[in-house]
Amino acid sequence: MRRAGTSHDPRWYKDAVIYEVPVKSFYDGNGDGIGDFIGLEQKLDYLQKLGVTCLWVLPFFPSPLRDDGYDIADYCTINPSYGTIEDFKRFLKAAHDRGLKVIGELVVNHTSDQHPWFQRARHAPPGSPERDYYVWSDTEELYQGVRIIFVDTERSNWTWDPVAKAYYYHRFFHHQPDLNFDNPAVMKEILSVLDYWLDMGVDGFRLDAVPYLVKRDGTSCENLPETHAVIKAIRAHVDLRGPGKMLLAEANQLPVDVREYFGDGDECHMAYHFPVMPRLFMGIHLEDRQPIVDAIEQTPPIPESCQWALFLRNHDELTLEMVTDEERDYMYLAYSQDPQARINAGIRRRLAPLVGNDRRQIELLHGLLFSFPGTPIVYYGDEIGMGDNVYLGDRNGVRTPMQWTSDRNGGFSRADPARLYSPLIMDHVYGYQSVNVEAEESDTASLLYWMRNMIRLRRLFTVFGRGTIEFLAPSNRRVLAYLRRCKDDLILCVANLAGSVQPAELDLGALNGYVPVEMLGYTEFPAIGELPYFLTLGPYGFYWFELQRPGA
Amino acid sequence: MASTGSSSSALEPDASLRPADLVVAVTSHNDARSIGAVARAIVEGAGRSFESGAVRLLHADTGSTDGTREALREVIPAGSLVELPHQGGFGGGMPYHGDPGRAHALRQVLRVVQETSARACVVVDAAVQGITPEWVDQLAGPVLQGRADYVAPYFSRHAWEGALTRGIVYPFFRALYGVRLRQPAAREFGCSARLAAHVLEQDIWEGERSPAGVDLSLAAAAVCADFRVHEVALGARGTARAAQADLGTTIAQVVGALFADVERHVEVWQRIRGSTVVAVSGTPAALGAATSGVDPAALVESFRLGYRELREIWARALPPRVIVELRKLADTPAAAFRFDDRLWAGIVYDFALAFAFRVMPHDHLLRSLTPLYSAWLASLLLQVGHAASADLDARVEQVCQAFEGEKRYLISRWRWPERRR
Repeated sequence: MRRAGTSHDPRWYKDAVIYEVPVKSFYDGNGDGIGDFIGLEQKLDYLQKLGVTCLWVLPFFPSPLRDDGYDIADYCTINPSYGTIEDFKRFLKAAHDRGLKVIGELVVNHTSDQHPWFQRARHAPPGSPERDYYVWSDTEELYQGVRIIFVDTERSNWTWDPVAKAYYYHRFFHHQPDLNFDNPAVMKEILSVLDYWLDMGVDGFRLDAVPYLVKRDGTSCENLPETHAVIKAIRAHVDLRGPGKMLLAEANQLPVDVREYFGDGDECHMAYHFPVMPRLFMGIHLEDRQPIVDAIEQTPPIPESCQWALFLRNHDELTLEMVTDEERDYMYLAYSQDPQARINAGIRRRLAPLVGNDRRQIELLHGLLFSFPGTPIVYYGDEIGMGDNVYLGDRNGVRTPMQWTSDRNGGFSRADPARLYSPLIMDHVYGYQSVNVEAEESDTASLLYWMRNMIRLRRLFTVFGRGTIEFLAPSNRRVLAYLRRCKDDLILCVANLAGSVQPAELDLGALNGYVPVEMLGYTEFPAIGELPYFLTLGPYGFYWFELQRPGA
Repeated sequence: MASTGSSSSALEPDASLRPADLVVAVTSHNDARSIGAVARAIVEGAGRSFESGAVRLLHADTGSTDGTREALREVIPAGSLVELPHQGGFGGGMPYHGDPGRAHALRQVLRVVQETSARACVVVDAAVQGITPEWVDQLAGPVLQGRADYVAPYFSRHAWEGALTRGIVYPFFRALYGVRLRQPAAREFGCSARLAAHVLEQDIWEGERSPAGVDLSLAAAAVCADFRVHEVALGARGTARAAQADLGTTIAQVVGALFADVERHVEVWQRIRGSTVVAVSGTPAALGAATSGVDPAALVESFRLGYRELREIWARALPPRVIVELRKLADTPAAAFRFDDRLWAGIVYDFALAFAFRVMPHDHLLRSLTPLYSAWLASLLLQVGHAASADLDARVEQVCQAFEGEKRYLISRWRWPERRR
């Protein structure tokens, strides 16, 4: 029997706590100023102690790094700055030895323009198989009306190549030409890339920019049936390699469209839930549960084998693409009054600065993240409340070196500070001198300790990853209350979205006789009766209760 | 050759691993003196209760050097015995005394259960004294009748015998897993094919604590997966194996194994409240009043010495309030020496937490429990040391209830270790 939630369970991703980690930012093991796999391996004990169960490693391939590694120049080796294949294998084994899964990135919508496939294509004659690895046109007219994603930097989805004497299509930056999935040779190449990493033991892949794989004129070139056929083929190939390998779709779309990326359980195992994240922030700022309830209730059901991936922050901007214009305006006003914090359709800030470094809000947001239906993803450094630097350009301000100690370079590297790939956060609130792992390790009241305990608690209850959710409707809209249910487990979560003390009257009549036991302290509360259950919540306070059956 | 004790042997004359109803395994480690009597009882028991060829007899030796294998071969016809290869060496990080290959041996036995499609398995240790032919049927019967998946022995013991089980293993096991299994670390047991298949998939075979704790881990795996458990009263149990370890080492091994299982089954025991009675077959032998050679005064003095020498170590595992209580206890005259049950339960739980959160090397931590256990044992002996078994059972029940009552504290601190009372 395989126990749910263990690393042996083929559906381990449903109970996982994922940690998003960029190799270059985590720990520099060889002293050259850039994080690497040797360093990441050295910090696995830290990650194991944190309690996360899966590492999502951001792109680590050779790349010109004009899009933080999402512009790949070779899929089957390691960026020399991060180490060697042997370093990676050692890291992977060490992670597996600790029961940690490792997922990588499959960035296959596009390559870098430095990739040999593109260099070969631009020199190949039109119509040749080599040329057809990418999408070419003599004009910019094809695919008219398709939206531009990086509106701050790109004026068109087409760029003229003087060597090929044709335009090539790119949905993202102009230096990232889109691959042509209508060419069977491309699919063959991608499957062999998959095999390469699966053979090495990687436990899954995040499929980057997945809605854009196949293009058709006269459409939005997003979420096309042909794209789903490609994903089904990838999934079938992965399944042939045996159980336990996971595909995570990055589809920044409305949930109803994202739902399609699960197929009938035959496309991706997981997909990000993009709309819920901005609405968590909005709900807290508005002190109103409705945006959050709406986001969850409008989420379509998914196949039993599938799972949503939830996050508060990641390596990109806090994207506002999936909110209404009015909501976007509100979010800009609420969370980025400094225009420098805005980029594309989003806000380039880490979690702690977004909420004014308010520990109670940070805890509440994690309390919601860990108790909503799905698998939570923690962005590196957010567990210690790291800050950002919105003046570093692009989204580099949220990709600064991990702050390990108050020593030189924040303990990240022994290199000359001038050699670091990025300056550290040094301001007086979030600077590495005060916010660092070592300091928080020695403070049992720190955010790091709190995160460890919460992650451990969440992992005790598979109901969080696998259960249903049912919202209650207390008259006080500042209070968010919901039941999570899975087999014999019944959990009541109650959260105060306001910065002031709030009362809550919960209609729990159907659970008459059950005894709520507060989960963090294992404190028994009065049994539920016929009258509404009354609770008082402190500012941004939240409770998780196990509801124990009468007489159990 | 000695007689097998049975004219119509139930043992399959061909020792190949062909299908059988029942697998009976004798585990041994330098038991040349006792294995013959054990084997004769098993053969006779199998012959009385099972049809010809229904039983497969295994010998799982763990590297004996005293002629144990040869002694068994004198009793069992050569063709009727499957001898399992033993695993050499022990790579654990802790000094180990005892039977280092037991986990490997049991694992092989259970694999044979699968390979032979046997319905049940009985394991008997070759050092056991007092075995009768009835044991085979008593341990296998509830499984073969479909009433149980795990059958544990219920041996009758005086207060000074098996005190570690009474004072820590049983109350702790019962409170955590909700099953009143009195001797969950027994080296004799019966199990079903279904349970064998389950435990073979569990992560209990190769850890640092496996050699000493595999029997306990097997019982824990059974109750945590809701397998049906049964006890059978087998009278008194003696052992022909001389104690090889001092008390500190024994505590480190047994309690270490108990605590290791706690981490393994955390998502199970944190949901269990209360405990259920286990059905018992047979009537436990009532032991009359008797005098032991254990001196409570010496145990109290050992505790006092421990308080003076180990208090700083204890303070890393125990809350300040408990240290204050221990100081009072150390100052108490031996005649009035009483270890409060709730205090004892809390201490054991605090040690389990310190073990889980690795506040110090496991072996140091576990050995530092020895003087505290001595104090608890002294208290027990001063109260019921010479009493009959019924009085002793009543006293142990009180201890168990204290462990069940304090379980909330364990869960609370497990979930938020920085919180101290």
